[in-house]
Amino acid sequence: MKQNDVIVIGGGISGIFAAITAARRGKQVLLVTKGVGAIATAGGTIDMLGYTWDGFPVRSPWEAMGKMDTDHPFMLIGRDTVEQSVQAFLSLCLGEGYPYLGSLEKNQWIPTALGRLKPTCLVPRTMDATGFKAAEDVFVVGFEGLKDYSARLIAGGLAECPGYRKNYSILSVKPEIENGRDLTALDVARWLDSEKGHQSCIEQLIRFVRPNSFILLPPVLGTRPDYVLFDKFEQATQCRVIETVGLPPAVTGYRLRRMLVKCLAKWKIQVIEQTNVIRATLANGRCSEIVTGNLDRQRSYQADAFILASGGLFGGGLLAEPDQVIESIFNLPVIVPAKNSNWSQENLFFTQGQPFAKFGVKVDEKLRPLNETGQVLLENVFVAGKTVAGYDYCREKSGNGVALATAYRAGLEASEEEIA
Amino acid sequence: MKKAHNDPDSCIACTSCVAYCPVSAVTRKYAGPKMMGPALERFRGVDPNTEFSLEYCSNCKNCDISCPSGVPISTLNMLAKSKMYKSKRHSLLEWILAHSDIVSKLASPIASLANFGMANPVTQWILKKVGVTDEMKLPSYAGKTFTRQFRDFRQHSFPDKVVFFPGCYINYYEPDIGMDFVAVMQENHFEVVLPEGLDCCGSPLVIQGYLDEAVGKGRDNIASLKAWIDRGVPVITCCTSCGLMLKMEYQELMELEYMDKLAENTYDSSEFLLELHDQGRLNLELAPLTGRYIYHSPCHLRAQGIGRPSLEVLNLIPGIGIEDADAGCCGQSGTYGFQVDRHEIAMAIGEPVFQRIKEYEPDAIVSDCSGCRMQLSQATGFPALHPMTLMRRSYEAAKP
Repeated sequence: MKQNDVIVIGGGISGIFAAITAARRGKQVLLVTKGVGAIATAGGTIDMLGYTWDGFPVRSPWEAMGKMDTDHPFMLIGRDTVEQSVQAFLSLCLGEGYPYLGSLEKNQWIPTALGRLKPTCLVPRTMDATGFKAAEDVFVVGFEGLKDYSARLIAGGLAECPGYRKNYSILSVKPEIENGRDLTALDVARWLDSEKGHQSCIEQLIRFVRPNSFILLPPVLGTRPDYVLFDKFEQATQCRVIETVGLPPAVTGYRLRRMLVKCLAKWKIQVIEQTNVIRATLANGRCSEIVTGNLDRQRSYQADAFILASGGLFGGGLLAEPDQVIESIFNLPVIVPAKNSNWSQENLFFTQGQPFAKFGVKVDEKLRPLNETGQVLLENVFVAGKTVAGYDYCREKSGNGVALATAYRAGLEASEEEIA
Repeated sequence: MKKAHNDPDSCIACTSCVAYCPVSAVTRKYAGPKMMGPALERFRGVDPNTEFSLEYCSNCKNCDISCPSGVPISTLNMLAKSKMYKSKRHSLLEWILAHSDIVSKLASPIASLANFGMANPVTQWILKKVGVTDEMKLPSYAGKTFTRQFRDFRQHSFPDKVVFFPGCYINYYEPDIGMDFVAVMQENHFEVVLPEGLDCCGSPLVIQGYLDEAVGKGRDNIASLKAWIDRGVPVITCCTSCGLMLKMEYQELMELEYMDKLAENTYDSSEFLLELHDQGRLNLELAPLTGRYIYHSPCHLRAQGIGRPSLEVLNLIPGIGIEDADAGCCGQSGTYGFQVDRHEIAMAIGEPVFQRIKEYEPDAIVSDCSGCRMQLSQATGFPALHPMTLMRRSYEAAKP
């Protein structure tokens, strides 16, 4: 098939961001995907570093990053690259009319649908909780019939958090949606997309809320990556509105993916969906092509450089087999304890973290894959996102942060490659 | 080649399919792909009354395309649908929509009479009674089927052959597209073969739950294609739903001998031209085409895992201005939008695509799928063309 400058494998946030990074440098990029990754159903925040390895909350990701283990992906690529990736992401969002707020200097704590607070770094304006801690009056809004969302649980939970005892009031909005299956936040967001829907919701709210209060909503302020509805709600209620971090399908992530996919088209990135990369052709420490194996037949695609962003154990980029973990496309080594029984701890929330959480491909500072002795295996293959070894996003709250930073670096490195 | 793997337990309930299901986006009547596919699969066999909204699945494949865990959700739905109709009667409408090939076989020889018959108020009333929406214009039968036009056409003979799989729509309604394809292949020094005994691919049967009959179609088609495939002749289709059936759905839904070989040798028409181009043997004597075109990528093409070959091939035409609509599913899904209780759903699904096209104001819409072309053309008022029609125009304009 046609020659490409860069081929990116993986349709999650790291794959898409790596593709955009390379395309913005004038490269002709092909993105091959199997599924939409985890962006669309997740919370849409960019967590950079929420907790230190010994479990302390991080105030400044920039500072905390300086004290991390040297084999953590952030340390490998360097704090400056991480900072550049944050700037690249923020400017991308700004350019698309959906600016994110925040910086590596400072984390903020945002309310979740479980009535807890989570540390995060970059958020859409709708999730910005600046000033929330000092608020006195908070209206926690639920929607009748909305699954996995209880305003009472949120108010009760937040009141228990130190410093968050406030005057919480519970409100319930009746969505005017036809009857049928379980109601999700996405259904409510689609209702609010309509003129009639958001008018009705605003009318129901302003009957009860007092101006200058805070309003906590589930993530329902429309499906489009813009702030039109958010601004309307804030103006009409004269309140600060915050969307909480919701359970899947969390609309805030859906909006983020929609914005990123728009960029794929804008930068003329070719996308092949619904395809399975099964192997790569390697010679002399370089990759020349990847091969897809659909149900019908195999097809090969050539490029100067390749970015592997196929995910980890959860996303399908790494496969757990008896006593070994396999990266099946390039056959890259994944170093794991010899026995399956040593991969996990019985206590799910084991204080030292689950060993399997850090499984992945070892890489150098350019994100090229390494063998057991630390030698570069492939010169023109760069690994990004959860396929990279050495970080535990659940424990650190660093998931999208590592994904973006490694994607950015991989995109830059791949853009430097010319055919040998 | 590996056999399809229908494992509901790969589902981790991430809800990506729910987020990207076009039907779920516009109605709550449908319980959604996660529920109807992998979730209920575990209860089927225990409780036969689990299929409360299966009829709303349009088999558009967006669930499969969005699933990060490789669960063949639409396949689970279609298998369940066929099981459901073992104990439930089909309506007359469902029979008609599933058997458009039989209806067409009867109506086509008397096309003008049949078209007149379809248009008269009495027929219209009957169709409405049966459950066909009167909001949509049904396609008209061509005066002469593709098969008959092809038999009367004298091709140049070339040593390189391709088999053409026309499918029902091109055969009965849009034979000109088939003839455009033949002309394009002739320009590339291929002789087109139309084997005896080719039948409907089975796609409309599957969606209405007539899986057993679809299996019969699959067997018949393989019987008439096998000898050609054995000789190394590729099978090409201009219909993305036929293509998906031949490449993937036979393997996902059926156990047919030789289906893997058929899949391995089946090509979408644009995909085939692109492969010729990669091999450096595509005829590039293409004349510039003027006009503003907007391309709509059918879901059943996206599901094939080959990207958007038409856009690449059409961009070889000098000076062509072709924009990718990139606005999602058109809603028609073959025959889905014809049903009176689904038409509103289909139109709501397609609305973003209609808007996009209307704002662009093209001279013509371009799409590989007949259902998409019909839906988009009727909803926007702009004509809709198959990529092969544009290719033929460009080749012919290049001739002195």
